[in-house]
Amino acid sequence: MSFGIARWRTAFFASIRPNKMEKILLRNIDVPDFHRLATYESAGGYRSWHWVVENMKPAELIDEVKASGLRGRGGAGFPTGMKWSFVPKDSPKPKYLVCNADESEPGTFKDRLLMERDPHAVLEGTLIAAYAIQSHTAFIYVRGELAFGTTRLEQAVAETYQAGLIGKNIFGSGYDLDVIVHRGAGAYICGEETALLSSLEGSRGWPKVKPPFPATHGLFGCPTVVNNVETLAALPWILERGAPAYAALGTEKSKGTKLFSVSGHIAKPGVYELEMGYPFKKFLEEDCGGVPNGKKLKGVIPGGGSMPVLRPEEIEKVNLDYESVQAAGSLLGSGGVIVMDETTCMVRAAWNIARFYAHESCGQCSPCREGCHWMEKIFHRIEHGAGDPADLDLILNISGNIMGNTICPFGDAAAMPAAAFVKKFRDEFDAHIAEKRCTLRVE
Amino acid sequence: MDPVKITIDGKEVITTKGKTVIQVADELGVPIPRYCYHPKLSIAGNCRMCLVEIEKMPKLQIACNTQVADGMNVLTQSPKVLAVRKAVLEFLLINHPVDCPICDQAGECWLQDYYMQHDLQASRFEVGKVHDRKKTIFGPNIVFDGERCIKCTRCVRFCQEITKTNELTVVNRSDHSTIALFDDSVLDNPLSANVVDICPVGALTDRDFRFKVRVWYLQKTPSICPGCSTGCNISVETYQNHIARFKPRVNEAVNSHWLCDEGRYSFHDLAGGERLTTPLIRQEGGLVAATWEQAFQAVYSGLKGSSSLAAILSGRNTNEEAYLFAKLMKKLRADAMLEVFYQERELNEVEKILVSPDRSPNFRGARDMGVGSSDGFDGLLRRLLSGDFAAAFIVGEDLTKAAESETVRAALQKLSFLVVQDTRVTETSKLAHVVLPAMHFGEKEGTYTNRKGRLQKLNAALIAPEGALPDSEIFAQLLELAGEQNGYGTPEQIFAALAREIPAYNKLTYDSIGAQGIELDSGGGGAS
Amino acid sequence: MALEFSPETLKKFEETVARYPKKEAAMLPVLYLAQQEFGCLSPEAIEYVATLMEQAPARVQGVVSFYTMFNTKPIGRHHIQVCRTLSCALGGAERIMALIKRKLGIDLGQTTTDGRFTLSEVECLASCGTAPMMQINDAYYENLNEEKTEKILDSLK
Repeated sequence: MSFGIARWRTAFFASIRPNKMEKILLRNIDVPDFHRLATYESAGGYRSWHWVVENMKPAELIDEVKASGLRGRGGAGFPTGMKWSFVPKDSPKPKYLVCNADESEPGTFKDRLLMERDPHAVLEGTLIAAYAIQSHTAFIYVRGELAFGTTRLEQAVAETYQAGLIGKNIFGSGYDLDVIVHRGAGAYICGEETALLSSLEGSRGWPKVKPPFPATHGLFGCPTVVNNVETLAALPWILERGAPAYAALGTEKSKGTKLFSVSGHIAKPGVYELEMGYPFKKFLEEDCGGVPNGKKLKGVIPGGGSMPVLRPEEIEKVNLDYESVQAAGSLLGSGGVIVMDETTCMVRAAWNIARFYAHESCGQCSPCREGCHWMEKIFHRIEHGAGDPADLDLILNISGNIMGNTICPFGDAAAMPAAAFVKKFRDEFDAHIAEKRCTLRVE
Repeated sequence: MDPVKITIDGKEVITTKGKTVIQVADELGVPIPRYCYHPKLSIAGNCRMCLVEIEKMPKLQIACNTQVADGMNVLTQSPKVLAVRKAVLEFLLINHPVDCPICDQAGECWLQDYYMQHDLQASRFEVGKVHDRKKTIFGPNIVFDGERCIKCTRCVRFCQEITKTNELTVVNRSDHSTIALFDDSVLDNPLSANVVDICPVGALTDRDFRFKVRVWYLQKTPSICPGCSTGCNISVETYQNHIARFKPRVNEAVNSHWLCDEGRYSFHDLAGGERLTTPLIRQEGGLVAATWEQAFQAVYSGLKGSSSLAAILSGRNTNEEAYLFAKLMKKLRADAMLEVFYQERELNEVEKILVSPDRSPNFRGARDMGVGSSDGFDGLLRRLLSGDFAAAFIVGEDLTKAAESETVRAALQKLSFLVVQDTRVTETSKLAHVVLPAMHFGEKEGTYTNRKGRLQKLNAALIAPEGALPDSEIFAQLLELAGEQNGYGTPEQIFAALAREIPAYNKLTYDSIGAQGIELDSGGGGAS
Repeated sequence: MALEFSPETLKKFEETVARYPKKEAAMLPVLYLAQQEFGCLSPEAIEYVATLMEQAPARVQGVVSFYTMFNTKPIGRHHIQVCRTLSCALGGAERIMALIKRKLGIDLGQTTTDGRFTLSEVECLASCGTAPMMQINDAYYENLNEEKTEKILDSLK
């Protein structure tokens, strides 16, 4: 009834609003005590959840989210509504919804912000997603290091149980839902959805071979959907304002808004929310204050440590959406923007990232287990003045041999940045090898 | 069973839905290299060696986990596939010690084999190999080398899924991943040595076989394990006329891919000991060497003249030998009591996967041949110990191990005539009046019928020492002495005779047994 | 000598397990309980958890060895974990690490003789915007400089 009219009204007004973007994910981030249920509810929190349980059928809900164009914000960018629709509706097995809060991608810290400052939005989104696939048990898998975020989420869950927002026979609808906050124990790979499921099953965090896929055979062989924190946190707003309002934002294929975590050599590091399609260069120079101390930009990683670095000239025409960044030869990924100025030794940066992947490889499949550390060792010896001219083509070759040949995308995540650093900064690598030392002056 | 049509390397094949590409390839004989895939274990998909190209799929796919689909076009020899095999091998070799000169796996190592078939490139690795534990004792039969390990996890999955004993696990992460036991635990389940068979490289090796002989010197003879009546199919592998090891042969109807530890190492006992190389006849001072003629004569007169006769055949004698034994004993004394050695023991859960509760591989065959009485072996033994018999003919068993040894010894000593036919000196043979040197399972050809009624063939893998005769020939010669002219020559000829006479074996021919054996009630026909 | 949960912890164990659809899914929270109770996950602790969880000890050991936050040996009261990944490296993490090593007189993986501090290097802690930073036990210390770092260490007994 009025909900439908309200949506239309908001969409209309959104389209005539000038350039100032209304925040979705960060709208309440600075409101004091927003992690408390009372504060959250007084700002309209859990109205969407009420609406969903009391008025919507799961199929409608899935259609609504499909129409919004929301895509997974963990890094893969898969359309969320479509992912939900892969869960077989008539399966006799229990269905599981997992909120992936294992944020460990280098340069990314947006999920943490949401967990700590707006945990109820994350939780409400989790509940909505669970309802969409008719799951009665939802997990929030939080990386073990984020103790504070975990506490906030646990408090939020406790509050919602107490308030009857979750549990048995919610709002008298007959729908039951339990939420379990599950703490990880230190493994980047557990952010990969099947590794997360292995970990949740009580095993080593080993990714699973696909097929079968989690939508049909996930946690304990049951239909499971894994969604990122940021993806889920957008759901209450989408349900409140309607899919068209969300779809009105962003670009043709990248709808809505995205959080960008900005760090490195930048004047104003932090988490920013942008409408998809925002110009990259403008973002760095204006919104983020540009490279400080009068230094020049040398390279920027747009989407987290696993994505190829871009040179300054490469970001001239790039917009921050999935398609534009891909066209530039990198990927939007988690939106972890790492800025590097002219004082950065790219050999050292490449080695740092290679070391990360060598350490975090789960060790299950041959190319990744052996190849990641091999690349790290080569970068290391180049960095320490013992490089060989043949090393660079060797790294490119190893990277190519890992890409696409592993059980999970971790192999690609390790291979891509290694190759990109070498390709984009070949001269610097050559010089570093020839001179047997870094040819820049590093701080 | 939905039929599915796929193409592999240009060849069309109709197969069934639910099969994987690697299964179809294996059935067709299309070679796809693999490490972690094993037909009896869950799919791990970690080695990446079986990556193949499938038309319309952008990435290469692992054949072990790709189900066939109608119209699928699989390429196992495309340039991309050949290149990725080299790449995977390179990755597996960079931290590998390549210590082939001291590794038992050399000659049957899948890294060596695949390198020769698919790689043949120099190593580009110069940045320091990861080191791990070498020659680490995992159990009484197993030694582990962490550097050679390629983390295919076959061994871990075997202990989880087959024996369900869960001794092994993978520990650590990245290229520090390795296989480990928990704390001070030991890999000693009754099927433990199978992990050596399934390990594609020299990471898990057999302690018993360690450094014995290079595998390319081994002569391999298909046979049947003499351990128990399961009748596991084995390969008897010999060098310079000695058994170096047993390996299982695959037979889905009997032992699948497995062999129990006890059976695997049984040759030490059963083919060992102080060999008898001449017939012996008891004189004043003890057992004295004699000729076969003298021995046969002594046996015949001794048994013919006895008032009662117990005849015990070993469970390790073949059907052909049992057939002649039964004929012989009945000829000597119509009321002779015959039995095949048979004692049962308790089995634990893991043993029950494979092992039978006896140590008589051919007890069923022997009984089929007429070596059996209404009292059973227990009954006969009881009567023997009670002094019911005047004479006894014992083949291939040390009876002092069948019950309290002193009691047995005393009973045997009271016999007026004891003949012992065996391969080696035992406590029983020492008490005999006549000792006849015979052959063991590894030195003869013949058939066993396993507990479930499967007829299987033994082949001779060794040449018996000078002076010993095949058991069947000993019985045949004694039968002649007893008045029966016979043409019992080769095992094949004897089998033909027994098949004519024993109803359950009527429809079977020696030729039809084949390498996988044949069910008794299958009515004959081609080899399975 | 056999390790056991206290009655209170045993109750927590049972409550934890009850929440999960299958017992084995509670492996990580139970391991945390054990680590807290016993100080570290020694072979005895692992064996105890294995019995409680009805899993093979080897499997539990495999799990423990996979994750960086499980300690199989005792560590100091304050576990200093300095992030070393790219953004923190760009922000001067190495200087902070060098300072800590100097001040405490220990190297990576070591514990001060008074049992106060253990020092580790870790990967990205999702705090890149406030680099360089470190985690000590459950707390994050961000926007570090040499002075701040010294103060923090001095304040921890």
